[in-house]
Amino acid sequence: MRRFKIMVYPYAVWAFVLIVIPMIMIALYAFTEKGNDVMTFKFTLENFMQFFEDAVFLNVMKRSLFIALITTVICIILGYPCAYIIAGITSEKNKLMMVLLITIPTWINMLVRTYAWLGILQDNGLFNTILQALGFHAIKIIHTDFAVVFGMVYNFIPFMILQIYTSLTKMDKSYIEAAEDLGANKVQSFLRITLPLSLPGIISGITLVFLPAASSFFIPKLLGGGQYVLIGNVIENQFLTAGNWNFGSAVSLIMAVVMLFLMWLTKKADRDPSAERGF
Amino acid sequence: MNENKVIKDKKKTGALGKAYVGLLLIFFYFPIIYTVVFSFNSSKSLSVFSGFSLRWYEKMLNDNSMINAIFYTVFVAVVATAVSTVVGTLTAIGLSGSSKVLKIAINQINNLPILNPDIVTAIGLLMFFSALTVKKGLLTLLLAHIMFCIPYVILSIMPKLRTLDPNLADAAMDLGCTPFQALIKVIVPEIMPGIMSGALIAFTMSFDDFVISYFVTGNGVNNISIMVYTMSKRINPSINALSTIIIAIITIGLLVANILPVIKEKKEKTK
Amino acid sequence: MKKRFFAAILGAAMAMTAVTGCGSSGSDEAVAKYGSDTLKVFNWGEYIGEDVISSFEDEFGVTVIYELFDSNEMMYTKIAAGDSYDVLIPSDYMIERLMNEGSLQPLDKSLIPNLSVLTEDVIGLDFDPAQTYSVPYFYGSVGIVYNKNNVPLELLEEQGWDILKNTDYKGSVYMYDSERDSFMVALKALGYSMNTENEDEIEEAYQWLLELNSTMEPAYVTDEVIDAMAGGVKDLAVVYSGDAAYILSENEDMGYFTPNQGTNIWCDAMVIPENAENPALAHEFINYCLSYDAAYDNTVTVGYTSTNDEVKNDMASEGGDFYENEAYIPRSGYDLDEVFHDNQLLREKLSALWIKVKSSES
Repeated sequence: MRRFKIMVYPYAVWAFVLIVIPMIMIALYAFTEKGNDVMTFKFTLENFMQFFEDAVFLNVMKRSLFIALITTVICIILGYPCAYIIAGITSEKNKLMMVLLITIPTWINMLVRTYAWLGILQDNGLFNTILQALGFHAIKIIHTDFAVVFGMVYNFIPFMILQIYTSLTKMDKSYIEAAEDLGANKVQSFLRITLPLSLPGIISGITLVFLPAASSFFIPKLLGGGQYVLIGNVIENQFLTAGNWNFGSAVSLIMAVVMLFLMWLTKKADRDPSAERGF
Repeated sequence: MNENKVIKDKKKTGALGKAYVGLLLIFFYFPIIYTVVFSFNSSKSLSVFSGFSLRWYEKMLNDNSMINAIFYTVFVAVVATAVSTVVGTLTAIGLSGSSKVLKIAINQINNLPILNPDIVTAIGLLMFFSALTVKKGLLTLLLAHIMFCIPYVILSIMPKLRTLDPNLADAAMDLGCTPFQALIKVIVPEIMPGIMSGALIAFTMSFDDFVISYFVTGNGVNNISIMVYTMSKRINPSINALSTIIIAIITIGLLVANILPVIKEKKEKTK
Repeated sequence: MKKRFFAAILGAAMAMTAVTGCGSSGSDEAVAKYGSDTLKVFNWGEYIGEDVISSFEDEFGVTVIYELFDSNEMMYTKIAAGDSYDVLIPSDYMIERLMNEGSLQPLDKSLIPNLSVLTEDVIGLDFDPAQTYSVPYFYGSVGIVYNKNNVPLELLEEQGWDILKNTDYKGSVYMYDSERDSFMVALKALGYSMNTENEDEIEEAYQWLLELNSTMEPAYVTDEVIDAMAGGVKDLAVVYSGDAAYILSENEDMGYFTPNQGTNIWCDAMVIPENAENPALAHEFINYCLSYDAAYDNTVTVGYTSTNDEVKNDMASEGGDFYENEAYIPRSGYDLDEVFHDNQLLREKLSALWIKVKSSES
C-alpha cells in the first residue's frame, strides 16, 4: 500500500488551502478584540474568559454534549440491527435498493422534514388528533427534550446505518465460519468476531452522528421551542444575530477542541482490539 | 453444520428483521408522506388540511427561480459527488500507506468541517474567497461543496481499508499488474461498499446544504436549500410541492432503474 | 458509461445556461439608458409580489438577478464581505448601521418621482428622517395576537405586555425568539425606552424575562408562530403586525392588540449600496416598487402594510383584502412607540442575557 501514499499529497495541499486557512482566519477572531477589522490585530483572551466566567455557557455545552451522546447511543442501538439485516441480504440488487431506501429521505431538505414533524407532533397536530380520536388524552411532545432527541435521531440515523452496513457487508465470512467450526454459538461468534470487525464502522458512524448533533441548530430551535439552547444555537446567534464574531469564534474553537479530544478518545478505544487482531 | 438448520435460522430472523426494517422505513418516510399530502392542501396551513388543490404546484412552476434552483442543486450535487468520490477514494487509499503523523493530521483536519457548525465553515470560506477577491457564484459553490464532501467520503472508506489485507496490492503487482491496475482491479472492488456509502453521504450533504452554500454563492446562483430556508420565513407550501416533485423524480428514477433490466431480460429471452 | 455521465453533466450545464439566460437577453435600449441591463436585488424571502419582478423586466427590457436573505445580519455579512448588489431592502436599524459605515449612496430624488405616494406614517422616521438614503417598502408594529374567546380585550387593555406574565395563561404563550424583540417587550412593560443603555433598566428587564420564563412555560418561536396561531394552538403570542394580519385573515377567533405601554414601529426600506454596479436602474426599480400596481401586488402577496398611501387605504377599506383587519394598519404618531437604533454593544449584551434567560431553569 505504501506505493500509493503519493496520492495523499494533492489532497493534503487542497485541505490546507480550503479547510485550514479559512479555519485560521476564523480562529483569529477568537484571539482579537472587538472591531470589524482583523488587520488591526489586538491580541486578547477575553473572548475565552467570557465563556468560562459564566456558568451558563458551560451548562449549554454540557447539555449539547449530553443530547448528542443520547442521540448517538440511540442511533447505534436502533441502527445496528437494521444495518446487520441489510448486510445479510443475499441479492446484491436488493441490498443496493435497501441502502438507497435508507438514504433517499435525507435528500428531502432537513428543514422540510423537521417542519413536517412539527406539524405532526404539534399540540393540535396529527398525532394528538389520532390519540384523541382513540379516546386518549393529548400529550405534550413538541418543545420537550424528547422532541429534540427524536428529531435528531430521525435526522442522523441513516448515516449510522450506512457506516455500520459498510463495515458489515463483504466482511470476511471465514472468520465467523471458523469460529462456529470451533464450537462458538451465534451469540459468541457475533460478540467475538462480527462486532469487533464492525467497530471501525461504528466509529465512523459516531463521527457522523455525534459531531453534527452536538452543533446542530435548526432541530433544537424548531422542535425544542427555543428553550433548549444548544451550543450550535449560541454560535449561530453570535455570528448571525449578535454580530459578535469574536465571541462566536471563541465558542466554536472551544467546541472544536473538546470534540477533537472526544474523537481521539473514541479512536483510542478502538485501537486496542484491532491491535490484538494484528491489523 | 446442518444446512437445513441454517436455512431455518435465516427464515426466522428474516421475518422479524423484515418487520423491524419495515418499521424503520415507515419512520423515515412518514414525515415525507405528510409533506406530500400537505403539498395538495388548499390553504397555507401545515397542520390543518382544508381541501385538495394544485395551487402550490402552479405557483412553484410559475416561479423561474425555483426551477433554476433545482437545476443548480442537481448539477452541483452530481459534480461535487463525482469529484469528491474520486479524490476521496484515492486519498483514502494513499492514506492507508502513509506515515502515522500524516494520517492523524489529515484525519483531524477532515474532522473540522464535520464538527464545526456550518456557520463557522461558511464564514471562514466567505472571508477566504473575499480575501482572494474571487467573484462568488457557481465556481465557489462547487469548490465549497467538494471541500466539505471529501471528508465524508474518506471517513466512509477508511474502515473498509483497515480490514483490507495490506499485501493484496503487492500480490497483484507481483502477478504482473501495474500499480494502476492493482488499484482499479483489486483494491477498489474490495472497498466498493465504502465508496458507495461515501458517495451517497456526499450527495446528501451537498443536496441538503444551506448555510455554507448561502455564503459562498452569488450572482443569482441559488440551490433548493437556499430557497427553502429563505422562503420558510413565511409559510410557503410551494416548498412542499417542490419536495414532492423531487420525491417523484427519485421514485421514477428508481423504478426505471429496476424495471429496465427486467424488460431487457425479457426481450433477450423472447429473442 | 463514463462518456454518458459527462454528456449528462454537460447537458445539464447547457440547459442551465439557457434557463438563467447567462447570455445577455436584455435590450440594447436599456444598456443605452442605464449603462447595463442587469439589476441585482437582495431582499427578504417571500417579500415581494408574484409578478413584480417579471413585470419590471418586461417593462424596462432588463434582467433582474434576485437573491434572498433570512435576517438583516445575514445580509450584512454578505455586504461586509464585499458582495455587490444594486438594491437592498434591510430594516431600520440596519440601514442606520450601513449609513454610518458609509456603505450606502444618497438617492437622487429626481429619479424617484413616486416618492410623493408615501404614506405619512413612514415619513420622518428616526433612522433616515428625510429619505436621504432609503425609501420605505413595508412597515408595521409589534403586538399581541390573542384568542378572542379566551382573552378578554379589557384585560389586555388593562395589563398590556404584562398579560404575558399572567399565570392564568400559563403554558399558553408564544414569545418571540430574539433578544431584540423580547427585550423590547420587557422594557416597554416596565415603562422604559427600548433603546435604553441604562444598566439598571436592562437588569430589570432581564429579571422581568427570567420571571416570565420561570412562571409561564413559554415557547420561544420565530416564524413557526404564524402557522401555530393561525391554527389556534395558544392564546397569546408576540407577533409582527404583518404576520398578524395573515393570522387574523385565516382565523376569525384571533385579534391583534398593540399595548398602550408602547411598542416597536419598524420599517424595511429600499437602499442603494455604495458599490452598486447599476445605480441608475436601481433608482428606476425603487420608483417602480412605489407605483400603485407594484405596491398593490406586494401587499396582497405578502400581507404586510404598504407604504403607498393609496394602496394602504384601498386595502383597509370595504372590498379590500384587509377590510376590518385590525393588524393591517399600525398605530401611528403614538408617543411611546419607537424605532430601533443601531447599537452593536447593546446588542451583544442583550444577546448574552437572552441566552441566559432561555437556558435558565423553568
